[in-house]
Amino acid sequence: MLKKGDLFIVLIVIIMIAVSFVGVSIFRGREDDGHKTALIIRDGKEIRRIDLDAVDEPIEITVDGDYNNTIIAEKGRIRFMEADCPDKVCVDTGWLYKTGDMAVCLPNKVMIKIEGKSQDIDIVTY
Amino acid sequence: MSGVKKIVLLGLLISQALVLSIIESWIPIPMPVPGVKLGLANIITVTVIVFFGFREALTVMTIKCVLSSIFGGGGWMLFLFSFSGGLLSTVVMSGLYKAGRDKFSIIGISIAGAISHNIGQLLVAAFFMQDLAVAFFLPLLLVSGCIMGFFVGVISSFLINALKNTKLY
Repeated sequence: MLKKGDLFIVLIVIIMIAVSFVGVSIFRGREDDGHKTALIIRDGKEIRRIDLDAVDEPIEITVDGDYNNTIIAEKGRIRFMEADCPDKVCVDTGWLYKTGDMAVCLPNKVMIKIEGKSQDIDIVTY
Repeated sequence: MSGVKKIVLLGLLISQALVLSIIESWIPIPMPVPGVKLGLANIITVTVIVFFGFREALTVMTIKCVLSSIFGGGGWMLFLFSFSGGLLSTVVMSGLYKAGRDKFSIIGISIAGAISHNIGQLLVAAFFMQDLAVAFFLPLLLVSGCIMGFFVGVISSFLINALKNTKLY
């Protein structure tokens, strides 16, 4: 059933997969300095920034919009807890705990991602 | 083919695509990445491209997207999301089919279609989230598109061969 040109398609696809894997892993590695900051972004605008290393009591955040999302942040991790959107992909993503982890609620245009770079200085070395 | 027959057949195909996309939404997928899906409705898109052509495939795909987001309750965002993927994959698959049906098999065309579907979705997601970070999902989307495109291609070639024997089209 397969034909000659299929080899060409498969080759291009394999190259694309390899390039994207390498690109993503380089990008992830560059941002990581062991410090975890969670960003909650809606409509391209940052609405909340949480230093995950400094969270002691779980924080609950509600995001309104076309739909509603409930986000829970604990020490070192964050997730979409509840959503009333139809697909629930964001809730199924589960906990985010590594730098570069990301959960997206497309219907509500909300995104959580974990960045490695700490924004404010919390350690001073001499 | 007469106009009435064409309308009837395309109507049937649209309803089949719709049923497939609704059934697909009931099947849980263990990969919580937005955009990873089975793509069963692509079986119909491929079939329409083979038996009718680009314009008919585009029509079927568009109507299917409108209806499935009304029935599925996805709203504007999910409509745009599936439409963008559908548009790009229909263009790519018709292009490949026209360029060389003797060079590319239905399976190859379907893999290319699935991958361009995922890329189209990702572009729209990046646009609406205004964040290129969604490109992190690209490797997983490409791999899943490749696997699902293969299976959809196998099913489509069985379907197309069977339909050719019916002499309905």
